[in-house]
Amino acid sequence: MKIKRTLTMLAAVVAAGALLSGCSTSAPAEDGKTLKLWHFESEDSAMGIAWNQAIKTFEEETGAKVEFEPKSFEQIRSTASQVLNSNEAPDILEYNKGNATAGLLASQGLLTPIDDAVDKYGWADKLAPSLQTTARYDDKGVMGSGSWYGIPNYGEYVEVYYNKDMFAQYGIAVPTTYDEFEAALQTFADNGVTPLAEAGAEYPIGQLWYQLALSKADRSFVDDYQLYKNPVDWQGTELSYASDKLKEYVDKGYISKDTTGLKAEDMGTSFISGKYPIMVSGSWWYGRIIKEATSFDWGTFLFPGSEMAPGSSGNLWVVPENAANKDLAYKFIDITMRPEIQALIGNNGGVPVAANTEDITDPKSQELIANFNTLTERDGLAFYPDWPTSTFYDQIVAATQELINGSTTPEEMNTQLGDEYESGVADITGK
Amino acid sequence: MLKPHRQKPRRTVGDWILLIAVILVAALVAVPFLIILVNSFKSPTDYANGGPLSLPSSIYTDGIANFWQRVNFPEKLWNSFFISGTVAVFAVIVSVFNAYAIGIGRVKGRVWVLVLFMIANTLPQEAMLYPLYFMFKQVGLYDNVWSVIIIFTVVQSAFGTYLLSAVFGTFPKEIIEAASLDGASRWQILRRVVVPISRPTLSVLLIFFFIWTWNEFLIPLTFLVSNANQTVPVAITALQGDRLMDVTTTSASALLGLIPTLIFFLIFQRTLTRGITAGSTK
Repeated sequence: MKIKRTLTMLAAVVAAGALLSGCSTSAPAEDGKTLKLWHFESEDSAMGIAWNQAIKTFEEETGAKVEFEPKSFEQIRSTASQVLNSNEAPDILEYNKGNATAGLLASQGLLTPIDDAVDKYGWADKLAPSLQTTARYDDKGVMGSGSWYGIPNYGEYVEVYYNKDMFAQYGIAVPTTYDEFEAALQTFADNGVTPLAEAGAEYPIGQLWYQLALSKADRSFVDDYQLYKNPVDWQGTELSYASDKLKEYVDKGYISKDTTGLKAEDMGTSFISGKYPIMVSGSWWYGRIIKEATSFDWGTFLFPGSEMAPGSSGNLWVVPENAANKDLAYKFIDITMRPEIQALIGNNGGVPVAANTEDITDPKSQELIANFNTLTERDGLAFYPDWPTSTFYDQIVAATQELINGSTTPEEMNTQLGDEYESGVADITGK
Repeated sequence: MLKPHRQKPRRTVGDWILLIAVILVAALVAVPFLIILVNSFKSPTDYANGGPLSLPSSIYTDGIANFWQRVNFPEKLWNSFFISGTVAVFAVIVSVFNAYAIGIGRVKGRVWVLVLFMIANTLPQEAMLYPLYFMFKQVGLYDNVWSVIIIFTVVQSAFGTYLLSAVFGTFPKEIIEAASLDGASRWQILRRVVVPISRPTLSVLLIFFFIWTWNEFLIPLTFLVSNANQTVPVAITALQGDRLMDVTTTSASALLGLIPTLIFFLIFQRTLTRGITAGSTK
């Protein structure tokens, strides 16, 4: 009896639902009155706050309505190529920069080349050269040349976060040269403190390794490594130095051997809880550390003795080829590049690409943005170590784990990574 | 001779080992739930300072509230309920018809039909994704809950047909013969005899189909593009960013996503156990 009643109930609910949802299909509107917009930043993040304001400004100035849908990073990443190929494509969306993501979509013809809009609104003048690299893709989807396919609103880079209280406790001054940095690490190690918060199971260890290589590198190395201009010498100065140093860090106790099992989240929380005095990682932690690291005083500096650092433009605004209202999309992008919106990014823990420095009032943010501006003025954004091929991320993680465990030597690690790099690059360039 | 009945059965060593094993397994199963529960009520600062295993220093409900508002949770709940409910009902109906033909009607080539259903069952969803995507885009059901309902009705009824055919295959012939002697048509035999007798099995199937469809992730993620059509498991991922994850809010969302299935299970728990133990004849 009970089951029968339940079944009838379910059937009734289902029937009611069928009636309701029968009339919910929508066709793409080409009316110039609505802008369908997707992004995946959380509401209270720097970009979330700034873009909310941009939406308001846009609605006031154009009279058009913004249909905003918050999405998850995972959702956009795994379904973009299907959605953009259909009538459900939004007019504008935030998308991951890089060859394997925006580059791939561009080469498949799913994104609109926006060169005309770039000329019309003059966005190129606002973006430093290393920020432009990730906005342009050639017909194979390789970044650095070809048409413009996106516009970044913010930047990101790797720097050194340090715990001022712990530095004071052991009488260590903020290092300005690489030797001073290593001396600081040694002082901590001598006092039984492991200095570096690291994570060997995810991106952080690879970024430290690449940062070490960059301290011996110049722009032509980065062009070779990232843009495949010339073959990379995997036993050359830069990469040998990086692997040797990483090994040395482990041997001298600057990095814990247990780090191979740790994730980026573990690294962040252990720095925030005051367990480690130093963390070398990205500006994406900034907002979170401001909010959560309340038990000690902290600061940041660029990796000493290095002209360059891992970093790039942030994610891009891209306009799908199937977008209905492209002109509105360009207008929206232009609003996000205005000083007042850029200042909102800067004052909430983000790194704006085109802000007026006098608009940034928060002292912690001033430090963050000053460091970024120093880097871009030096043309010092060197992208990320895993970018060259689609499988390199996992390969770097595996190779560094083996090095830390002591199962490979630095030379063996470089030989292995070099082979993997070359076969991956050959797939992309066809050489 | 009956064995003398013991008043107090003494527990043997084996019993104790079994008991300890059961407790251990239960504890292992409970650990993830407990971690979700503990972290759902922690503030991010609390989490960063105390780690995932510590108890919250104060009860913090903003995580749950934020998630509820950000994804418009009641809407997602309704979508999930509507999709899972429709699929469960449709899939059971289709399974019954198929299994009646195969298990009782013994149609020709039934073995091959069953093999086909088995293959459909073992096919990974990732392999079907692109063909399905192009099919549903052609007929204009992309980004429509009915695409997901149709897909899962087929997927679940493939399994249901396979299972029910085996059950119906052992259905006592005498009952059916008796019914047809009384002048019942095939349709009447199905409605009046077969379905009522196998109702416990059918309700178990219904509940499983509901829960399985509820927990589906990949196909709803791909086919339900608009936020207004999304299901609960897809909404839970809305909080995971590119490089950062907000553990406490993610836990809160997992907790909210878990509660409906838990409630559903508790309500139908008795039906489930009864259905599994019930025989086909009374």
